[in-house]
Amino acid sequence: MTATTTYLLYLVFALGGAGVYFLLPRAGRSMGRAGAIFGVAGVVGLITLLATQIAGPDTSFYFYLFATIAIVAATRVVTHPKPVYSALYFVLVVVAVAALLVLQGAEFAAVALIIVYAGAILVTYLFVIMLAKQRGSAVYDHRSREPFMAVVAGFVLMAAVAGRASDLPVVEKTEAISVQDTTQTESPAAASNSMAVGTLLMTKYVVAIEIAGVLLLVSMVGAIAMSRKKVPVEGMVTKPKPLGQAGREVAPF
Amino acid sequence: MYEFITSQLGVSILLAIGVLLALLGYVAYCIYYERKISAWMQDRWGPNRVGPLGLFQPLADGGKFALKEDIIPGHVDKVLFVVAPSLAFLISFIGFAAIPWGGEWMLDGKLVQVQVTNPDIGLLYILGVGSMGVYGVVIGAWASNNKYSFYGGVRATAQMLSYEIPMGLCIVVVVLTMGTLRLEGITAEQAGYWFGFIPKWNVFLHPLAFAILFVTVLAECNRAPFDLAEAEQELVGGFHTEYGALKFGMFFLGEYAHMVTGSAFICVLFLGGWHFPWIAEPEATSTFAVLLKIGVLVGKVTAFIFMMMWLRWTLPRFRFDQLMRMAWQGLIPVTLALVILATILLYFNLHRSIWALVGNVAILAFVLAYAAARGREITGRQDNMPRAKNITMAARAATGASA
Repeated sequence: MTATTTYLLYLVFALGGAGVYFLLPRAGRSMGRAGAIFGVAGVVGLITLLATQIAGPDTSFYFYLFATIAIVAATRVVTHPKPVYSALYFVLVVVAVAALLVLQGAEFAAVALIIVYAGAILVTYLFVIMLAKQRGSAVYDHRSREPFMAVVAGFVLMAAVAGRASDLPVVEKTEAISVQDTTQTESPAAASNSMAVGTLLMTKYVVAIEIAGVLLLVSMVGAIAMSRKKVPVEGMVTKPKPLGQAGREVAPF
Repeated sequence: MYEFITSQLGVSILLAIGVLLALLGYVAYCIYYERKISAWMQDRWGPNRVGPLGLFQPLADGGKFALKEDIIPGHVDKVLFVVAPSLAFLISFIGFAAIPWGGEWMLDGKLVQVQVTNPDIGLLYILGVGSMGVYGVVIGAWASNNKYSFYGGVRATAQMLSYEIPMGLCIVVVVLTMGTLRLEGITAEQAGYWFGFIPKWNVFLHPLAFAILFVTVLAECNRAPFDLAEAEQELVGGFHTEYGALKFGMFFLGEYAHMVTGSAFICVLFLGGWHFPWIAEPEATSTFAVLLKIGVLVGKVTAFIFMMMWLRWTLPRFRFDQLMRMAWQGLIPVTLALVILATILLYFNLHRSIWALVGNVAILAFVLAYAAARGREITGRQDNMPRAKNITMAARAATGASA
């Protein structure tokens, strides 16, 4: 990556940042149209830069397709005034990123991302959002807080990371999921992805896995202990408690 | 052109189109099948007006759905109201891409796989698609902007999140036993015999895991006795209260397609997929044998769907607390024990021996004994709960009546 490319990349990020800034919900006159123009310019610029300067000519069309979907959806996550739509756009981001992972040959990571995020975590988010506000939007939904500083911080960070992208180690390209000649898939290389992930998790990173597991277990037990409440039974006479101890009914187990 | 059609890609494309069309027809006839079965169980005739034996009833129903006025109520969120049924429909149909329909097919001197795609992670793909299945219901419920719909959506979410855990653990048991995530590989591994006549199906190794997987699939499909999301006695119609015409039809077809995917999934994991002793063997690769294998899988799926319908017209619906208690206090501990059993057997390299069956029976016996000793069923009926928590006992104590 030449110096010119890097500066062009910074310019593209500036355009994208301006787009997001204008797209963010604000009080008073909406500047969505200006934001859309800047945003489209940023995305087109980024794709052009990627296609001509950074990525090789053999980069798949699907990479650009899913990358664009991911960027646009991610912008909508931040800028959409309705929280339910934001959560659904987040689902779209997760699915698009999973598709990018599949293109990289990381099938296991892709499906794990979908099962864990799209299938479980985001459903719980949606659950909470829907319970919190079913209709209409609150002040904090259509008026963003410190939009300028947020955009500057976010995009400077992204530009800083992307500007050093050429220093990253190059990963060898592997076969993605495709309609392949399955008579040849009995070779070990074809079955290697999930097996390789599993082997690494069970050998090199086994301590990390165990620690993460224990941490999750502890947090689950903690959540249950905190949310457990004695359900008052109908007809049962309970002594009224002094005011200071009203919330102390919860016994851990 | 001929070469392209006989290549794996051509077969996959043809199969994708064929499966989609066949499935639409099959799902439409599932509804007829359900109505006939319910009629049979309730000693009625069922649909018998349109065509011989009422066989054209699905066509008439489809025509009715398509020709009805498509109403979008004024108070709904219009975009999501339209997206939700499409999403429910789409997600229930894409799971079929990884189902192995008929093993290998000798076509023009080459072996091709009768499967749309055979990814390395076929099992996880179906699990992932299944976990996305809740979005159609939840989005539809929220977009309807109706309290009853919303309750339906909330129930569906809690139910799916809870039952996905035992489902995943049952799948872990199968993966540990088979050592592969490829659905075709799992089927092929099961196509053998013990003592020359018992097929090596996983159901004989882990019958308990099989039963639990069937229960969780019922719950994931929102089928009775787990149909709390649409409980008509309590919630009018649940998540689809506001839907009519073709949008309701899409939810309806999506539900049945989900049942078919779930059944096919259980068949592949536990009942040997397309394998059937002496009828459909992996060595047979002629066109006739492939058709026979597809027929075997479809027959097994149909048997499962019959069982789901049988349960629907037999069992009453769970109460919500029973539903949650069954998942968290019943199924999850049992499946965790099964996973531990499978790992221990794998360590001693006994994972495909009689010890798996022995372990399953032991776990089942322990669970039943434990439940009997505590005097309380797994589903947790309130009369069987400890006395202090029992509502009637507490009420008696409060009013001073002698127990």
